[in-house]
Amino acid sequence: MRVLLASALLLSCACAQVQDAPIPTGPAVKMAPAPVITIVQGKPATVPLSFRVASGYHINSNKPKSEFLIPTVLKVEATTDIVIGKTTYPDGQDTSFAFAPDEKLNVYSGDFQIDVLVRPLKTVEKGKYIMRGTLKYQACDNSACYPPKQLPISFDVKIAKAPAAGHKNPAQSPHAHQ
Amino acid sequence: MKERGFSRRGLPVKRNPLILFFVAAIVAAMLFAGIHASRRNRANSPTKGQLIGNVAPDFELPGLDGKKLKLSDLRGKAVLLNFWATYCEPCKVEMPWFVELQKQYGPDGFQIVGVAMDDASTEDIAKFAKDMGVNYPILIGEDSVGTSYGGVGVLPTTFFLDRDGKLIAREFGLQSRSVFVDHIKKALSQGQAVQARK
Repeated sequence: MRVLLASALLLSCACAQVQDAPIPTGPAVKMAPAPVITIVQGKPATVPLSFRVASGYHINSNKPKSEFLIPTVLKVEATTDIVIGKTTYPDGQDTSFAFAPDEKLNVYSGDFQIDVLVRPLKTVEKGKYIMRGTLKYQACDNSACYPPKQLPISFDVKIAKAPAAGHKNPAQSPHAHQ
Repeated sequence: MKERGFSRRGLPVKRNPLILFFVAAIVAAMLFAGIHASRRNRANSPTKGQLIGNVAPDFELPGLDGKKLKLSDLRGKAVLLNFWATYCEPCKVEMPWFVELQKQYGPDGFQIVGVAMDDASTEDIAKFAKDMGVNYPILIGEDSVGTSYGGVGVLPTTFFLDRDGKLIAREFGLQSRSVFVDHIKKALSQGQAVQARK
């Protein structure tokens, strides 16, 4: 009986593998591991996020030149205690491609960085927080384009305690000599 | 060592025929399901070799005016089936060629059909097509149709059908105009020219 069951499993696996090779769906944009930024409660800080577009490909910048082109957009999910502020995109490069040498597209290729302003509330507890989001992009190469993709991203921020307001030098305290 | 199929006393173990039948049925069912799934996958996601030479997967999609067009209704004509999107710059390069080719070969029984694989609204697609001076039907694509053609993860992807509706060629990405002309001529020369149904 065991032999029968094992045979059935093997056969079903073999059948499942008789499938067609997937057609390529375009390049991957990858995010480099982001540095852990320490942010003081209530104070804003900029988190730099570095991305790399695979060689031979480009993606539209955040401000492409045509209304029909899909811009690169980073979305970071705000938490209840950490506010996501302005996202600063780099300028794209005006580039012409072999398929339309007379036209220039505003694109990112190679490495680029997007800065995200993060501001924890004063009330947020200190500690490490994972921020999550997505980078939406649409890539092309010299002769073809690929459907828009959403790259999941995440980075850590470390929230530190704000220095106490009105803190006095203990040496000057009237109780210091007691 | 314990002998298989025998009890400790060396007497044959009684096999329940019902269990054996049940196991055999499971094995048969798994085999059938596996083979069926494999065939279905091949039919829905064919590779180039499996698609080309076979009748193109049929579909019915709405055009920019809302009227539906069924691919098999074009039987008798050579068809260039172009999957594209408004965000695809290389697709824009082909479109003026397609406009010319439609004018040039249309009277011979040639029809271009564009399928917009787009997230853009129908209005935006229509505006884009109007700006490009498109003179052939543009249909609003669905993922299932793309999948039936092996997936259209690369745009433009262009198929060529002969007059019998058989796929004779597929091209990924922007090609030179002469490549299109060669495929169109071949498509027009193959299959039976019959009056296309309306």
